[in-house]
Amino acid sequence: MTTPARAPAAGRTPETKVLSANFGVPGSWTLPVVRPRGAYQALEKALKTLTPAQVTAEVKTSRLRGRGGAGFPAGVKWGFVPTSSPKTKYVVCNADESEPGTFKDRYLMELDPHLVLEGCLLAAYAVGASVIYIYVRGEYPLSIARLEGAMAEARAAGLLGAKILGSSFSCEAWVHPGAGAYICGEETGMLESLEGKRGHPRIKPPFPAVEGAFASPTLINNVETLAHVPWIVIHGGAAFAKQGIPPDPANPRAVGSSGTKLMGVSGPVRTPGVWEFEFGITLRELVYGYGGGPLPGRTLKAVIPGGLSMPVLTDAELDVKMGFDELAKVGSGLGTACAIVMDDTCDMVKACINIAHFFADESCGQCTPCREGCHWMEKIFKRIDAGQGTPADLDLLASLFGNIEGRTICALADAAVWPLRSILKKFRPEFEARLARPVAVVGAL
Amino acid sequence: MSPIPPGAQLKGAAAAAAGQAAGALAAATAGAAAVGAAAAKVAATTQATAKPVVPLAFPPPELKARCEDLLTRYPVKVAALLPILHLAQKHYAGWISPAVEAGVAAYLGVSDAHVRGVLTFYAMFHTQPVGRHDVWVCRTLTCWLRGAEGLTQAALAKAGIDKVGGTDAQGRFSVREMECLGLCEVAPAAWIDGQVHGHVTPDGLARLMDGCA
Repeated sequence: MTTPARAPAAGRTPETKVLSANFGVPGSWTLPVVRPRGAYQALEKALKTLTPAQVTAEVKTSRLRGRGGAGFPAGVKWGFVPTSSPKTKYVVCNADESEPGTFKDRYLMELDPHLVLEGCLLAAYAVGASVIYIYVRGEYPLSIARLEGAMAEARAAGLLGAKILGSSFSCEAWVHPGAGAYICGEETGMLESLEGKRGHPRIKPPFPAVEGAFASPTLINNVETLAHVPWIVIHGGAAFAKQGIPPDPANPRAVGSSGTKLMGVSGPVRTPGVWEFEFGITLRELVYGYGGGPLPGRTLKAVIPGGLSMPVLTDAELDVKMGFDELAKVGSGLGTACAIVMDDTCDMVKACINIAHFFADESCGQCTPCREGCHWMEKIFKRIDAGQGTPADLDLLASLFGNIEGRTICALADAAVWPLRSILKKFRPEFEARLARPVAVVGAL
Repeated sequence: MSPIPPGAQLKGAAAAAAGQAAGALAAATAGAAAVGAAAAKVAATTQATAKPVVPLAFPPPELKARCEDLLTRYPVKVAALLPILHLAQKHYAGWISPAVEAGVAAYLGVSDAHVRGVLTFYAMFHTQPVGRHDVWVCRTLTCWLRGAEGLTQAALAKAGIDKVGGTDAQGRFSVREMECLGLCEVAPAAWIDGQVHGHVTPDGLARLMDGCA
């Protein structure tokens, strides 16, 4: 399962292979193959010529934003970890990729696990951590095997463990396997799971940077975020910041989307897959140009631009650029940048049942609005599908959306509301057509 | 206060306490006979069915080295619970019985209830016997859009099971619908015993299942 290698057609945005440079190289998951191709050169450079603070400064300069979906500036997050703390510090790499439609991190872990490990080590060096846990979802056995293989190779080569590359920096790394729970991709749910508990998200503050794993300072970043760090250390943060979409000087909140991003397309399209682009390619080119567009004889109905948890966009809205601020501006979100396409054969009421069922199944159960609300929404959609819904059910859904969103500890409930509300808004006639016909009241007048 | 007695005695004591409470209730309320009888019945049932769980000696010799290695990776023992449960489940025919649960709890120094709580939270752990082969069909949006429902029906028919989550009478297959397996680019996807398959057709899935002993 490697990326389909295709030459860009004329006028097509080319791929920019930074993270995916080793994809498709035979044996790219082994040290003897990737070391001559530059693996661990960034680690060597950092340990020999840069202080930890300088590494963090480069990441800040790069304006790298978190690739797990939230887009928080990575360098700022690194800066939150108190360097003065006498406690053992941890780096936890979020490899729980459970977001539906999303498989980009799997490619990184299966095809270039040393890149992921090197990124983790650079982060550990920068924040003074001595232990790395890579939390990989249990459904990814090959990712786990490849990462553990990479760790064993790195240990044997003096790239992991005590006094790495002869420096004073010592650091261990382990894979921690998940066991099937979407909520463990939420960073504090993940910490609970790492500590051997049910994955119930924690109330913040305290934030993980100050009090995370085992009540110690912990840096948590997504796989793809960390995999960017070696390139940034070699080429400098400024070079990274030149790629992608620059900040908008007129809008201080639009901090830009620098660098490249793994982007995927799945669903009923001709050529589903994952590719790497600088931010700025349009969603239309991603879906039609690279994803190949709808299957023969079908037309596109809606696209969720990143994962399952973002509002849908219709075909008319696909000219938006793939970037954090750009997608937010059109009322959706970049999410994981792995788009799910729905075509004209997709029954939107049934799709809502499928989506609501996912969130109902994956709710951890801590907060009432989510635990009860997700099941309730599923029941209402089932009722509508069965022809037993009433106009009041559509109002009830609207009320539920408002009473679920923003009223829970973590964002799972918000993630359930966003796609459902947008589908209901943009495809409302489909729902109305399915409602039960009003029963005429006939009586003696 | 004396230390809490071991399981069997505690359960006996709890049942006796329930009986006592029921007795007090019977004396104090009208129509109490029925209430008292019901409480006594509950107490009797508790005594009859709640057999004390004898913890299994854990880890077994085959898992000892790996479990000890796992404990060195974390500052607290209980953090090794998930990886240890994965090992134990694989070792004990695909599920964690109350005896294994208690053995793991004793090994890590936590309560049985803590381990049960974790077991029932995660989709990949089982607290009931399962078939020799795990057949999972991904049911989430991308796979659903590409025909996952047909795969579930094909798997159930092949296994001779009437309901998702069930196991056939011979104990050959357990068929489950799972949430997104992260194989979306090759949807619809299925998983058989840890081996993932993409672009699966109903006939193809049936053939894959034919290959399972």
